[in-house]
Amino acid sequence: MRKRILTLLGVGLVVVVGLVGSTQVGLMGQTAGAQSDASLRTPWGEPDLQGIWTEEFDTPLERPEGFGNREFYTDEEYAEADNERARLLAGQTTTGGDRRSAPGSQNDVAGAYSNAHLSFKHLGRRTSMIVDPPSGRIPPLTQEAQALATREREWRRSLLRSTETCQLGLPACSGQDYDPVPSPRRNESPPRYNTGRMNRHDNPEDGAFGDRCLLGSLAPSETAFGGNFRRIIQTPGGVTMYYDQGQGQGFQRNIVMDGSPHLPETIRQWFGDSRGHWEGDTLVIDVTNFTPKQNFRGSRENLHLVERWTRTGPDTLEYEVTIEDPTVWIQPWTVKQELGRQSDQENRIYYEPRCHEGNYGFPALLKGARLAEEDYAAGTGQHPATFDNVTGSGIQRFPGSR
Amino acid sequence: MHNWIRGLFKGSMLGAVLAASAISAVISVSVTRTTGQATRPATVDGKPNLSGIWQANNEAHWDLEAHAARAGAVMQEGIYPYAYARVPAAPVVALGAAAGVPGSLGIVQGDGEIPYTQEAAAIKQENGDNWIDRDPELKCYLPGIPRATYMPYPFEITQSTNKIHMSYAFANAARTIHLDDVARPPDYTYMGHSVGRWEGDTLVVDVDYFNGKNWFDRAGNFHSEALRLEERFTPVTPDRIQYDVTIEDANVFTRPWRISMPLYRRVEPNMQLLEYRCTEFAEEFNYGHLRKEPLVTRWEGETMIVDITRKVPVGDALYDWYRK
Repeated sequence: MRKRILTLLGVGLVVVVGLVGSTQVGLMGQTAGAQSDASLRTPWGEPDLQGIWTEEFDTPLERPEGFGNREFYTDEEYAEADNERARLLAGQTTTGGDRRSAPGSQNDVAGAYSNAHLSFKHLGRRTSMIVDPPSGRIPPLTQEAQALATREREWRRSLLRSTETCQLGLPACSGQDYDPVPSPRRNESPPRYNTGRMNRHDNPEDGAFGDRCLLGSLAPSETAFGGNFRRIIQTPGGVTMYYDQGQGQGFQRNIVMDGSPHLPETIRQWFGDSRGHWEGDTLVIDVTNFTPKQNFRGSRENLHLVERWTRTGPDTLEYEVTIEDPTVWIQPWTVKQELGRQSDQENRIYYEPRCHEGNYGFPALLKGARLAEEDYAAGTGQHPATFDNVTGSGIQRFPGSR
Repeated sequence: MHNWIRGLFKGSMLGAVLAASAISAVISVSVTRTTGQATRPATVDGKPNLSGIWQANNEAHWDLEAHAARAGAVMQEGIYPYAYARVPAAPVVALGAAAGVPGSLGIVQGDGEIPYTQEAAAIKQENGDNWIDRDPELKCYLPGIPRATYMPYPFEITQSTNKIHMSYAFANAARTIHLDDVARPPDYTYMGHSVGRWEGDTLVVDVDYFNGKNWFDRAGNFHSEALRLEERFTPVTPDRIQYDVTIEDANVFTRPWRISMPLYRRVEPNMQLLEYRCTEFAEEFNYGHLRKEPLVTRWEGETMIVDITRKVPVGDALYDWYRK
């Protein structure tokens, strides 16, 4: 029985690990009481950015069609879009919904998120987080980045070609022909360091960052259901930020404020090298020295962020970041978020990134893959490459032998 | 001017000017100290300013109690049957003299011994004997308090008025010390729940709400979820904090006991906290046996045996001559 469960887990498409970090915020957030302007400065006279901050509303990164260069919804548009969104979220969707597949099926094992356990934020007033370019859309990729993305997509696709997803012509197969013989490309290394899900689990490095508890990231992300908090604490000449990013994948960030240059080129970090200074009342942080292992929409070691943090009121903090990587995008782009202050007293932030400590799902996923190989070798199971345990368009009925 | 300086420069006027400027340089450095952060005032809101990057410089991370140096972090029986004639075992043998354990007089106050109950003493012994299988540090689990303080990695204090934050290089761990009233966490924790107050110049921190999964060191010293700490951070000089902890856990110890050590400021001008994201580093350790083709190839049942490949020491001229 244990083996069967492990096999099921191994072929399940989403293994959820360490569900400990996704603190939920109420629909409107818990805001602290009003403060006088004097309290927006620290006792030593710097702008006071301290507290727990989060995005209280859900705003898409890119602007939906039909809004042109408009940064904000009209009241009517907002009401309609927010209602429509609530209606969709209540229904059967891939990101939520109260879905339950047939017991024993691959998809049933995978349905770890449901509306029974999630609360959703209201839509924000902004039509997109991106404010520049004015279209609200991510600038086009460079030719070099497009070519690399295509190579990677094709390689990932090749891992699916002998699955039922392709046999049934499901969308996740992306139009490639089904071939019962697994692709020889299964033995290739990915075109660049893997960060996402792939239909292969030969090694820990084949795992997605989420499965490996390596998901935390500085770059802005959409957070429909919470779990993206930061606590800022200041001292004269120093700023520290702790990020709680859901599923226990938080991280710590200490800003160097002494005007010294960035770390040497050879030192590369997951969260880069943050060097800050004050421009008037705005904390400006320049971030470079990222490791090629981290990935923000295709940008790796050349990612350059310029962040601007400005306290705009007792309960509001504006965050603006310009994202630049000339090897990936033809021009820099800028994202803006309005963060809301959360109650210090309630202290609803996890400063324990303990995804890793509770990560039983990841070894189970690898073990499941090894058991599927054993089954196949013993003539009691199908070829491991015929399972689709990554796209969510897998077969509905578990066909294994155990 | 002191006589020794006068003597040094044999009374020359140039010498006296040089000596005076050297002294004033020393004085000005001690006033506008910079250690990887901007100029740091001596106080924050009237309290001693502990902000900056600190590190313990002792052997407590190996064993809180007094211990003699030994040849390897993991040992096995040698060719003589005496305990003191044991030799390094496979996990560290290829690392030679770099993998030994330095001796220490210990940091446990009083009689120097941790007052375990009888049952707990047996568990501690077992923990030590099975160090590489049991120590949460090797798996890159959150290190807990007080262990995070004296692991061989720096940590940074960011001192504000109502919060004091400590971030540790190891495992990206962090804790916030609340000087104000906050709700407890919704679950027991690895890093504890820290509530602080000032007693004169001493920062006193009560820590509890532990989940009991941490150790104190690499010797198997451990505690349960009933652990309660009273930490005392007392600045002695601008670059030294005296760190004292009273440790209480009725499940494991017969009475409260105390550890004590200095913490030193990392005074390098370019010092900053760098990442040690060991979740990734420990993947081979944690999951290597689940690879399709494990890098480790020998197994006995569920036990993996690490084969070590190394060359005998070469490159020494005398050794090469002798070998002929």
